[in-house]
Amino acid sequence: MTEQKVDLTNCDREPIHIPGLIQPHGVLLVLEASTLKIIQVSNNTGEWLGRSPEDLLGQLLSMLLDEKQMIAIEQCLAGEFESLNPLDLCIRRGSEWICFDGIVHFHDGVVLIELEPQTADDRKNFFGFYQQVRGTITKIQKAPTLREMSQVVVEEVRKLTGFSRVMVYQFDADGAGSVIAEATDHETPYLDLRYPATDIPKQARQLYTLNWLRIIPTSDYQPITLTPPLNPLTGQPLDLSLSVLRSVSPLHLEYLQNMGVAASMSISLIQDQKLWGLIACHHDSPRYVPYSIRTACEFIGQVMSVELANKIANEDLDYKMALKSLQTSFVESLSRSEHLIDGLMQLEGKLLDLVSATGAVIWMGGTPSGELQSNRCHCIGTTPPQSTLPALIAWLKPHLHLNLFHTQSLSALHPRWESDKAIASGLLALEISKVHETYILWFRPEVLQTVSWGGNPNKPVEVQGDGTLYLTPRQSFERWQETVSGCSLPWKPCELEVVAELRSLIVGIILRQADELASMNIELQRSNEELDSFAYIASHDLKEPLRGIHNYANFLMEDYGETLNEDGVGKLQTLVRLTQRMEDLINSLLHFSRLGRAELMRQRVNLNDLVYQVVATLTMARPQNAIEFRIPRALPKVECDKAQINELFTNLISNAIKYNDKPEKWVEIGYVGDIQENAQEEPLHPTVFYVRDNGIGIPKEYIEQIFQIFKRLHGRDEFGGGTGAGLTIARKIVERHGGTIWVESAPNVGSTFYFTLQAEAIA
Amino acid sequence: MTSPVLQTPSLLIVEDSNEDFEALQRFLRRSPMPIPFQRCVNGEQALAFLYRTGNYADPQVAPRPSLILLDLNPPRTDGREVLRRIKQDDNLKKIPIVVFTTSNNPKDIEICYQYGANTYIVKPIDFELLKQSIQQLMQYWFQIATLPEKAED
Repeated sequence: MTEQKVDLTNCDREPIHIPGLIQPHGVLLVLEASTLKIIQVSNNTGEWLGRSPEDLLGQLLSMLLDEKQMIAIEQCLAGEFESLNPLDLCIRRGSEWICFDGIVHFHDGVVLIELEPQTADDRKNFFGFYQQVRGTITKIQKAPTLREMSQVVVEEVRKLTGFSRVMVYQFDADGAGSVIAEATDHETPYLDLRYPATDIPKQARQLYTLNWLRIIPTSDYQPITLTPPLNPLTGQPLDLSLSVLRSVSPLHLEYLQNMGVAASMSISLIQDQKLWGLIACHHDSPRYVPYSIRTACEFIGQVMSVELANKIANEDLDYKMALKSLQTSFVESLSRSEHLIDGLMQLEGKLLDLVSATGAVIWMGGTPSGELQSNRCHCIGTTPPQSTLPALIAWLKPHLHLNLFHTQSLSALHPRWESDKAIASGLLALEISKVHETYILWFRPEVLQTVSWGGNPNKPVEVQGDGTLYLTPRQSFERWQETVSGCSLPWKPCELEVVAELRSLIVGIILRQADELASMNIELQRSNEELDSFAYIASHDLKEPLRGIHNYANFLMEDYGETLNEDGVGKLQTLVRLTQRMEDLINSLLHFSRLGRAELMRQRVNLNDLVYQVVATLTMARPQNAIEFRIPRALPKVECDKAQINELFTNLISNAIKYNDKPEKWVEIGYVGDIQENAQEEPLHPTVFYVRDNGIGIPKEYIEQIFQIFKRLHGRDEFGGGTGAGLTIARKIVERHGGTIWVESAPNVGSTFYFTLQAEAIA
Repeated sequence: MTSPVLQTPSLLIVEDSNEDFEALQRFLRRSPMPIPFQRCVNGEQALAFLYRTGNYADPQVAPRPSLILLDLNPPRTDGREVLRRIKQDDNLKKIPIVVFTTSNNPKDIEICYQYGANTYIVKPIDFELLKQSIQQLMQYWFQIATLPEKAED
């Protein structure tokens, strides 16, 4: 057992609860539970009890102890030995009596009695310690913060024990620890130093939760073996999990020696049955602390453990109060600003403070109509280069859970971000809107850059004669350094909470703004409807007097044509022509207003068939014009109002034919991108159709005008005439279908009219 | 098969616009086959005429029309209402009704045929077209089509 070599490669598996060894400052007796017969002892009984192991083995315990003491032990075994320990046990050694603190445990089928020799002043000081502890407990309870409580504890424990350095050591979620309080007379403070998780192996943590107190009076002690080496009842090594004398891992002793620690004591701090931290005591020369004082220290540790929840809650309370006030200013700023990004941008520093980040990115992707719109992003603090962000966002999307994603180590998740680990090891991402691709990202740097670490990175590696690396804290640190490279400090649960809350705040604001917009839209729709019906009634009623004028002008020509001169007849003819033109305009207006109100009859329409029909009808009407029609690939089937879409294509294609002065005219009808015809879900982006020509084009300054009703860019009789309502009607049809229409054009080159027939899906 | 009894055809025009009425009158008079006609300026008057109430109590003043030319938007009782009332009256419903209106609203067209209108014509603004429409209308209803016997007096 003792021969097995333990090094850093296997220290996580070292069976430290069954070392088969004890520390030399006491004696271990192992008894068969039913008979209290001695079956195993430590090999230092001669030194402390004056009897060799061989003398003791197989004897009854009563050989060593008197009747009164035996009764005490039996009581102890029958009940709460913790409250009875230590027992005052005096054993005759030759002519003198030697008094011990006897610590009795029943574990794994055997009774363990550990005897630690009493020093002269132990007992009499006990009540003094009690008074001191009572004062300490009051101070612990009164301390307003975790840090202040920890400070009280380290000072009191130092006073009680006389250790030269007492620290409170707190573990983070990953097991790395940091010193949060320290009482020492040493020149070099350890306060705020961090230690890698590997400094305390897993199974040691387990034992820390079983035993609240652990003492090593001398770090360079010679361990004492047991006789026989194995538990004779089980044939296995003796389980020393609960033993106070249990020998320490050689690795740990080496660690202590490398730190210049000659004696140490640690008291566990437990919260929710988990090791939260330690009260760690160091001394630079050997130091023994009697059991009674240890009990007092353990009690302090237990009280502190109980108080932890309170103090942490208070700590969180302070943090949360700070976050709440930050949130308040967020809401104020965001609700004042018209656009989310403006509001967020004004918050710059606060956005970083919110989660203690060093960099943040506000990312606003495309808007529903704007696949073609470029992404907007705003960087605050230290962030990865903008060029890498689109890839990061794309990678991030499937990793979000409940709109959130966080990691301490981005580079571990994807090697692509290895190069940015110094500034962006930690990533916390919040999705505001999937459809609008709105995200807020927070970054934290690699932790090596930010925190001071325990251990001495500059201490050279010691190489032994046989070439193996000699175990030193330095090596331990290096190994650890490899494992935490590319890691940031972890994101705290309350930070994640505040970010999740931030999202609901932002969404709330967005929704409110959307509500306002919606009510404005309803108002607008109502006035549009009123306008539509006004146009309808007006145009209808206008027609009657118009027809009257028309008819009367004709009556005049019929009845008095003979008596009028040529000029008079010409003027009447002009009057008639004007009424005809006016009727055209009124009809267009009527048609337009009806489009606005007629119900859409959506059905599945094969656009390919429809467009071929439109082209056939148009070419039939203008047989003299040779036009090449191009349909590069079959158009898809679409849910739409067939009659209206027919009119839409008719308008766009006939415009394309009309406004063309090239000798070889062509019109191309197609669509952009891929079609997911049989997709289960409605596609996010609607199909973009286009009608392209090589016609006269539209000068840039008129592009906005072409969709306005009765706006014409050409003389009434140029390019075949028309009322100028065609494109207005086209736009109305597209809008009625929930889509948008826009145009790209270059004079003398041609125009392309793009349109969609459905709204962007909004998730 | 008995041949239909020859009767004096007559026309009731429900039209509020004097100008439109004048145009109608002009073309009717010039028609190769002049048809006697009566005019009501609104729906209320038209119904009074048909039901012979008020000023129209005398059958001589209000003879049964062979055809009704109905404007859809006269003041007071609406043309649609007049149409509906006539087509719901067992005695009157056989009188063919030609809706003659400015409205080319599909809804109006739909509703008029639903109610039982026999023809729906959008008044053309073009002078020649208007003339042609009226002449063809008269020719169709009074020369080509066979009308039912007049409603009982």
